[in-house]
Amino acid sequence: MSITTSSHAVVGTPLRPLRRGRDNCILGGVCGGFATRLGIKERNIRVIFALLALFFGLGILLYMTFWLVLTRSGEEHSIIQQIFQNRREAQIVLVAFIATLILVIALQSTGTRVSDGFGWPLLLSAFAAFAIWRGASTDERNHLTDFFNTAPVIGGAFSKSRKGVVLRVVIGAGLVIFGLDQLNRLGGVWRSAGSALFGTAVLVIGVLVLFAPWWLQNVRELTSERRERVRVEERAAMVAHLHDSVLQTLTLIERAAANEGDVVRLARNQERELRQWLFSPETHTNASTSFVGLVGTIEHDVENDYGVRVDLVTVGDCVPDDRVTTLVAAGREAAINAAKWSEAASISIFTEVEPNSISFFVRDRGVGFDLDTIPVDRQGIAMSIRQRMSQLGGEAFITTAVGDGTEVQLVLPRTT
Amino acid sequence: MTESAQPRVFLVDDHELIRSGIRAEIAASVDIVGEADEVEAAIEMILERNPDVVLLDVHMPDGGGQAVLRAVGEHDTTTRFLALSVSDASVDVISVIRAGARGYVTKNISGPDLVDAIYRIAAGDVVFSPRLAGFVLDAFSTGQDDQLILAVDPDLDQLTARERQVLRLIARGYSYKDIAKELSISTKTVESHVSSVLRKLQLSSRYQLSHWASERHLN
Repeated sequence: MSITTSSHAVVGTPLRPLRRGRDNCILGGVCGGFATRLGIKERNIRVIFALLALFFGLGILLYMTFWLVLTRSGEEHSIIQQIFQNRREAQIVLVAFIATLILVIALQSTGTRVSDGFGWPLLLSAFAAFAIWRGASTDERNHLTDFFNTAPVIGGAFSKSRKGVVLRVVIGAGLVIFGLDQLNRLGGVWRSAGSALFGTAVLVIGVLVLFAPWWLQNVRELTSERRERVRVEERAAMVAHLHDSVLQTLTLIERAAANEGDVVRLARNQERELRQWLFSPETHTNASTSFVGLVGTIEHDVENDYGVRVDLVTVGDCVPDDRVTTLVAAGREAAINAAKWSEAASISIFTEVEPNSISFFVRDRGVGFDLDTIPVDRQGIAMSIRQRMSQLGGEAFITTAVGDGTEVQLVLPRTT
Repeated sequence: MTESAQPRVFLVDDHELIRSGIRAEIAASVDIVGEADEVEAAIEMILERNPDVVLLDVHMPDGGGQAVLRAVGEHDTTTRFLALSVSDASVDVISVIRAGARGYVTKNISGPDLVDAIYRIAAGDVVFSPRLAGFVLDAFSTGQDDQLILAVDPDLDQLTARERQVLRLIARGYSYKDIAKELSISTKTVESHVSSVLRKLQLSSRYQLSHWASERHLN
């Protein structure tokens, strides 16, 4: 069971249990938690911790310890519990702890007196910070990331902008110089600085040799973990698509097995859709932004409604405006006409978008007809296609002969 | 191959079902001398049996049809390749032609059409499907940076007006015979135009062609 305490301290009203604050927190919510528990103002607790920090960093160390041990409001386990629940995390943190100890002992032996003053508490706090980062819940990590990204100085150092880099370099260089100066002073005279530096260098290399493989592995695991996640997501999308389309169609085909026409139509429909999904970029399939996409709907509709196969070839593309939409409507009529009357098993549509014009061809190798003796209904369609095109300032040509198929050619000049 | 004899055909496809389907459709009209379901075996057997025409699947593990084309192309053979694919990806189609295939048809082609295509390839012709013609027109379309390319290699990197005309007619669904009639030229001339387009496609080092391909790929 997780326990959520009320979000803010109510002065004079102590509340149980002791939890790190979630809403009234700056960093870890330790002060806010105490304030809520004891019924005191948060500010007072923060002042106490700050004052304690002056005593050899005691306040900082205490803060970090509470951060580790106290459960965050709304969560089930404290950070330390989280760490020890996961064997790998526990190992990592233990290794880090040992590394800290080695660092301290090594520094000690090179003559740097870390045990004095702030040394010990700071090092331990640094270790605690590492442990907190490893053990924190995702939510708390997000909170901390936000905090550091918006913090005035540190946030700047994390950013990748030019200003951030400059800031980082300045701060880093300042710290290095300060550190060298400190080492120098500890050695008492300039002469011993060399050996101190040497010692530090050996130490750093030693630590690297000891922990680099482990660190690298850690990083690598993270990367492969991320890659794996991307793969899983892609696979999920693929599965979803296949399920929605291919599997459904296959089921339909099984049920319609007796009807040859239905089977062909379903299979062709699915084939077209799958092709589009696999090979066509999205922009080329959207009927509102693409001429090719618009023409594709003719292929779809004619094949579905008339069971005639459409061989569609498109060259070039453009964004359809009103005129282009009318051209496609005329082309659609020509295609439906061919599908209905030609008795051919397939019709060919070819479109080409050129800088100055758009051409639209519909051809069938069906029965054809004699232009002079067209049945009235077909004449009507031919007329309507011609009229539409001339209204657009374009042209329509119909080439046909009995037994020799029909071709309708539409040409639309482009104004732009 | 003599005029009357059936062309010797070799099948390369990693799907048994497709191979048996094709076999059933063409076995009566051509002489099938072997088949392979993987790149390495295909290369070895093609070189050994020296068929007239190889029906080549574009998509296979270990490099696909292109790997076979390259490896066999290094040797001095008279074997010609017809690419066979379910793919509609223009990049695949163009690159298999550039690797040396003499034609490209999709797997849903009808049996008689496939036999016809095989005979034409065997006779040294080029087989362009309407879709391939569309891709080629697209690839050679006059873009804005064409001026730059013109200066480098004007012959190879441009299609002539006549070649474009022929390609457009193929894309519109015309057979070679229809095209010859339409343009009042002989079928042989139509064939030579198409062959010339194929040569340009294969030899052109045109920047735009690869640019076009990569653009398609990235999309």
